[in-house]
Amino acid sequence: MVGRVLALCLAAVAAPAAAAQAPPPLAAERAAFADWLATAPTSPFAAVAQQPIGGGLSLGPDGGPGLEGLQGARVNFEGERVVLTGLGTPRPLPRFRPTRLGRYLLVPGGTAATPVLTVFDSSRARKAPRWYAHDPSLEFVGALTPPVEASSRRLLTPDGVEVEATDAGTVLVPLGGVATRLRVMRIPDPATGESELEVFFRDSTNAGETYPAGRFVALIPQGGDRYRLDFNRARNPFCAYSSAYACPLPWQGNLLPGHVRAGEQYVKD
Amino acid sequence: MLATTAALALLAIAPDPSGPWRAVLDLAGGPLRFEVTISRETGGFRAELCNAGECAPAGPVRLTGDSIVIDLTDYAATIAARVSDDSLVGAYSNVGNRGPRLIPFRAARGRWEATSLPAALAGSWDATLVTDGRSSPRIFVLSEGARGAEGAVVSNTGDYGRFHGMVAGDSVAFSHFDGSFVYMFTARLDGDTLRGTFHAGLRTQTPFTAVRSAGRAHLKAPTEMTSADTTEPFRFAFPDLEGRLVAHDDPRFRGRVVVVDVFGTWCSTCHYAAPILESFQREYGPRGFTVVGLAYEVTGDTAVDGVLVRRYREKFGLTFPLLLAGMGTAELAAPTLPQLNGFTAFPTTIFLARDGRVRRVHAGFYGPATGAMHRQQVAEFRAVIESLLRE
Repeated sequence: MVGRVLALCLAAVAAPAAAAQAPPPLAAERAAFADWLATAPTSPFAAVAQQPIGGGLSLGPDGGPGLEGLQGARVNFEGERVVLTGLGTPRPLPRFRPTRLGRYLLVPGGTAATPVLTVFDSSRARKAPRWYAHDPSLEFVGALTPPVEASSRRLLTPDGVEVEATDAGTVLVPLGGVATRLRVMRIPDPATGESELEVFFRDSTNAGETYPAGRFVALIPQGGDRYRLDFNRARNPFCAYSSAYACPLPWQGNLLPGHVRAGEQYVKD
Repeated sequence: MLATTAALALLAIAPDPSGPWRAVLDLAGGPLRFEVTISRETGGFRAELCNAGECAPAGPVRLTGDSIVIDLTDYAATIAARVSDDSLVGAYSNVGNRGPRLIPFRAARGRWEATSLPAALAGSWDATLVTDGRSSPRIFVLSEGARGAEGAVVSNTGDYGRFHGMVAGDSVAFSHFDGSFVYMFTARLDGDTLRGTFHAGLRTQTPFTAVRSAGRAHLKAPTEMTSADTTEPFRFAFPDLEGRLVAHDDPRFRGRVVVVDVFGTWCSTCHYAAPILESFQREYGPRGFTVVGLAYEVTGDTAVDGVLVRRYREKFGLTFPLLLAGMGTAELAAPTLPQLNGFTAFPTTIFLARDGRVRRVHAGFYGPATGAMHRQQVAEFRAVIESLLRE
């Protein structure tokens, strides 16, 4: 029985090694991400509010986001349109695209049924992300076990948007001397129509080194039913960069024993 | 002097990147093949992206040290690569709301060698994509083109453009990359069933099975996607590129057969429809026919959108009026066309009789890559126009 469980586990790609530089593709991804965090007008560090539009959202000081200088401005959800009112002629706001309003950028997102508005202020301070040294022993390849029956549930994406995600199955990860079964969800990206097989997990580093709520890591298809789970690619939910974002609740059961010292760390204030 | 020489020695200069490059995006599911053609122009270089010999302008090419950056102007995306000897190695980057999405990119000088499509694969295939228990239909059209195996993928709202085919034994890979959309399907013939995976972006993979099209409807008919109020003339009123408001009762439309082309310059399928509509304009214009284009663009800012639409008009030599109607998503466009019900696709082609009432609404457009589907659709458009002109 033990042998069978191990056979179904993801297998480590490499033996433990001394801390190393990230391989070039991962280093390039990290550099691009760090540059985006540091410079993009819609960097999550610049987010000052993210709220559901619902039946209408007042933007000004007495409204939800409490934005300065936007007295009377309001964002409404009309039919399937997001419309800005209260500042002259009503104007539709394109979804997933920034619209400048004074010092702020407004980006309607979410799904067509449940839109949210994210507001950015480029003047907000930003911090450089930090990663653990690359650890090839925390990279695994193995099978994704499909769910017994198809199901879906609403959950929050890394950028705090509520979507309907489908259960994609589980992977068994041999860490800390035991095999832990982690739930994998297929999370759609409403902006692109693509999707990622994501694992939102916690481990002992959440107590002080990584974001307390947990981290996301995406499975990388390897052909057939085999996937690569590389904890060096673990990343923070956007609520780690700005309290404007809603933070996903930890996924039940996705708790790894011991410290997963790989991937993104939490840079505290 | 020594210091100057050393400094000069460290300055790497990129070789002239002009010419064709056979390129690859390394997706998780394998290499997506396409071609980049870089040409010299006054003051710099420009790039085109090509799929199975069909090329579209991509944007300017910047040289910085030993690297090049191709700005994919229409998509806020770039291809950045280091030039070494006769190869390019770097990444395609497209910035979304969750940050930059990087896909490894590499290229070598020259073009992809053509591979022939086996006769057993040629033709139309009814494909069913299945994700976590949910299925959606597509039609794959596989054929032998001037550059070897090529294909098209057709959904309920049109096709995705021309796909470059690569055949190796009983396995095939068909790829399409236009600067924004990253699509590939890989498959193997298993008896009389094609089994494989549809790849979108770096690692979204959807399994499919496909069987030979047998004449039964696999997709929704383009004329059944969107309905219209036919009790009254079709109404619209939008500014033209000079800022003048143009309405449905404009003298240019009154008493004529009119085709309303609901399009966006960002919509690649619309680019296939535009020259066809212009050919109808020229052929049937003297007989009381006209086309009017309603552009749904990126920003909703007429100054910005106007530039894009003018460029589109010049690219296809359009002689019919183009109006700036709004912003380019179905959900934003639908309320501006309240007489349509179920508007879902760009382009949507609306045929109006001489009394101004809607007689037919065609959602989406099958581009030339779809072969017979394209030819049949153009013939249907022509037949409808001629029928309406005879009334």
